[in-house]
Amino acid sequence: MMIQGFHLTKVHSSGAKVLDDAYFSAPEGSFTVVLGESRTGKSTLLKMFGGEEKPTSGTLRVDHLDPYDLAPSEKDRWLRSVGVIFPDLELFPDKSVEENILFILHMKGAPPEGQREAVTKLLSKAGLGDKGPARPSDLSSGERRMVLALRAMIFRPRLLLADDPFQGLDERTWSVLLKFLLELNKGGATVVLSAGPASFPEAAKKAAQDRSPRYVKLEGGKLLPAEEAVL
Amino acid sequence: MTFLFRLGFVLKEGFTQLLRTRGPSTAIVIIVASTLLQLSLFLGITRGLDRALSSAKKKFELALFFAPSADASDRKRVSDLLASDPRVGEVKMVTKEEALQEFRGDPEIDRMIQALGENPLTDSLSVVLKDGEGGSLDDLVERLRREPGVEDVDYGKSAWETVSRLSRLARWVGWGLGGFVFLTALFIVSNTLTIALWARREDYLILARMGAPLWMKWGPYLWEGALQGLVGGVLTVVFLETVRRGAKVALQQYGGLDLLLGLPDGDWKGLYWTLLGLGVGLGVLGAFFALQKRWVREMQ
Repeated sequence: MMIQGFHLTKVHSSGAKVLDDAYFSAPEGSFTVVLGESRTGKSTLLKMFGGEEKPTSGTLRVDHLDPYDLAPSEKDRWLRSVGVIFPDLELFPDKSVEENILFILHMKGAPPEGQREAVTKLLSKAGLGDKGPARPSDLSSGERRMVLALRAMIFRPRLLLADDPFQGLDERTWSVLLKFLLELNKGGATVVLSAGPASFPEAAKKAAQDRSPRYVKLEGGKLLPAEEAVL
Repeated sequence: MTFLFRLGFVLKEGFTQLLRTRGPSTAIVIIVASTLLQLSLFLGITRGLDRALSSAKKKFELALFFAPSADASDRKRVSDLLASDPRVGEVKMVTKEEALQEFRGDPEIDRMIQALGENPLTDSLSVVLKDGEGGSLDDLVERLRREPGVEDVDYGKSAWETVSRLSRLARWVGWGLGGFVFLTALFIVSNTLTIALWARREDYLILARMGAPLWMKWGPYLWEGALQGLVGGVLTVVFLETVRRGAKVALQQYGGLDLLLGLPDGDWKGLYWTLLGLGVGLGVLGAFFALQKRWVREMQ
């Protein structure tokens, strides 16, 4: 999926302006990292791309469509092709880890055959092989973030939006997660992730180099192009 | 995804939700059961009254008296006319001899007939109307009166109309009160389900944010409502059947219940199926209205 945003402005109900006439472009199959200090509007930007925060003004096109212009059923269909890793989009508390991921496969309309095996395989690949029957409350914060990421990726979305996915993860966990993200991107998905200065370390940049990531920096409501981004 | 897979998903999720929210679920089952119990009284009593009034109406006969000059063709024409009317149930010919025989049972009349020296009565037709025919018979009576060979037609018009009106009134009052009880219960069930939905709003929001289709968001809630209604309905049916079989004699002393308990087996079966249907309807409608609340729609 391709994302294009022109003159994007977002003013929260509190009056705070988090985006001010910003431009953004992510070609199909690209890997984009939005860097920025905390509270600069990275989450808002990603939610905007995910159809959750309507821009106050400006033009946004995701795959040539304005997600805010779709009828409810069309928007649901559109959302089902987007994977999101948002910290506030929690797991179902009363379902096990395995059920949480299976639920998404049901919802996204994946064929029922072989779903459980795929989930088991993915969990063990992520180092969570023994966590399938566990409840989200039994997981550490890092494990929970990993499950959130797996849930967003297992159905191979065409667009993956990840809001600070490496925040608070140890090196082993984030490197596994980054590997998944890069694999997904290699498969043709457009990946846009946000990160704070400390949550996207040099090692991550190196590991992502193969995919020629594009870096942009969000500062003062403006998105600075890659060449201006302070890396 | 196949229809069966979706169905399986909805059934499983709805059942899991039902078990997860035992408190509100129990409250809804109790509300549904008590509502159905009240409705069963209205339905049963209305049905009982209906039956009693129908059987009273059956007793109203229309009597047609032939003129002494009436011949066989007059009698046949009148009989054919009656047979073609949909309101007419049974037509019985009463000869003047049979009528005389009947009158002779009364010593006073017997003395009068002896004084006259001959049978003053005429042949007549005794007409029994069909069960449930509550409309006016004026048109039929007028037509019969105009027929040659007919001397008079007699029927208890005002009594007939009073019984018909009572029958209609009983039905409307029953439906009105039943409808009021149903709507009140629907309001309570819907609000209780709203509380249950509020407790699970995070789950619903996750579904909505990830673009879950409507059947996935609504299906489990509607099914949960249906299950709660069904359980309430089954409890009511079990209670009523127990009363019918066991506590019948003890409860007959309370007014109204004797009408309910006097219903034939077929009516009881019908009542049970109606109650189960109403229970499921109450649960599904309650869940549907809960899903229409503004804060739920805003999550979608």
